[in-house]
Amino acid sequence: MRRRPGIGGLQTAAAARDQYRQLGENVAKIRTDLMKEQLTTFRTQLEDFARKHKNDIRKNPAFRSQFHNMCTKVGVDPLASNKGFWAELLGIGDFYYELGVQIVDICLATRPHNGGLINLQELCGLLRQRRKSDREAVSEDDCLRAISKLKVLGNGYEVISIGKRKLVRSVPTELNKDHNEILELAQAKGFVTVVEVERRLSWTTGRAIDAFDTLLDEGLAMIDDGHKDGVRRYWFPCVSSISTPVGADGYGSSKG
Amino acid sequence: MQKLGDFKLPQFFNYPPYFTLQPVRDTREKQIQLWKDLILDYCKTHHIFVIGLEDQEFPLFSNPAIERSLTYEAREAFLSALVAQGRAEWLDKSRRKCLVLWHRIQDWANIVLDFVKDNGLEDSVMTVEEIRTGIESRGTELHGIDRTVLMRALKMLEQKGKLAIFKGTTADDEGVKFSI
Repeated sequence: MRRRPGIGGLQTAAAARDQYRQLGENVAKIRTDLMKEQLTTFRTQLEDFARKHKNDIRKNPAFRSQFHNMCTKVGVDPLASNKGFWAELLGIGDFYYELGVQIVDICLATRPHNGGLINLQELCGLLRQRRKSDREAVSEDDCLRAISKLKVLGNGYEVISIGKRKLVRSVPTELNKDHNEILELAQAKGFVTVVEVERRLSWTTGRAIDAFDTLLDEGLAMIDDGHKDGVRRYWFPCVSSISTPVGADGYGSSKG
Repeated sequence: MQKLGDFKLPQFFNYPPYFTLQPVRDTREKQIQLWKDLILDYCKTHHIFVIGLEDQEFPLFSNPAIERSLTYEAREAFLSALVAQGRAEWLDKSRRKCLVLWHRIQDWANIVLDFVKDNGLEDSVMTVEEIRTGIESRGTELHGIDRTVLMRALKMLEQKGKLAIFKGTTADDEGVKFSI
């Protein structure tokens, strides 16, 4: 555009800028509206879906797990607020808070025996026993979800992986790598001996005994001198509970 | 299988380390608590009054299913804990025999009182043996009660003026005059 001199020229330029800006705003608004509309549609769809499959979500743990996965992918957390629409629609929030309370209960009740570390499978089994009415309706996935909600209460409840198994920790004990390796080793039989640790992990005796002493102090291990071979065994109630026979896979998996 | 009748053994009984005295204090205290409860519960169910520490037949001292048994030290620790709590008494200085009070003496005394009232014996005379094995006590907890325990309960009641104990012609023939 040829620049024209004088005040008229300046005004024309200002008017043109204004128009460009308005046009830009319009375009942006149209885009936002479109996006909003899409989101609304999506939300409606998701709601419809949830409403339609309400019973499945409530009753079927596998389905519930998949629904959660779907929600996570699109960035919706049905558990984010208990007052939200999801809670009203599905009652899902209450379900997990209830589970959470029961999990805390079980962890406290079994702490004298296991030192505050419990096998996820066992926890899940005890949870099912407690909720007799819908025994099959709680999966390990549900437990994990409920435990993750307990984190807002501060330190304490945490899930740690030892080997193939998951353990739920309800005391603020810090386990180091050595302890974890011993726990992993103990999963096979429920106990280990100093010699086994030395051999399998290539540790010195001192290192093994040191780790065992800590585990004993934390209440996570118990000694057993009663075997006829006279070798001291260290048992770990958290990996082989007295309520589940050693080595037995006490409870069915979550995919049911 | 162990002959434990209908008695339901707790789960810890099948977990080997519970048969070894634990070195860490907290863990040991929990362990002792479990054993104390088990011993009282078992003795109550089976009406056992005296435990011999060297008695290899006492079913709680070993669990063949997991091939574990309590050492003498462990047995003594568990029973000592009961003694400290007033729920058991050593019968000899060497601590080989232990009287288990699954009811405290006070509770036994009350049971005697209830027994007397239930049978309308408020002013009667009975021999000690009659209380232990007589027809009136049949079906009650007093039936077959250990003589030492019964005498202690009766003496407690005597002190309260609820009865008078008098000597019979022989030592086994002590009698009681209730005056409730």
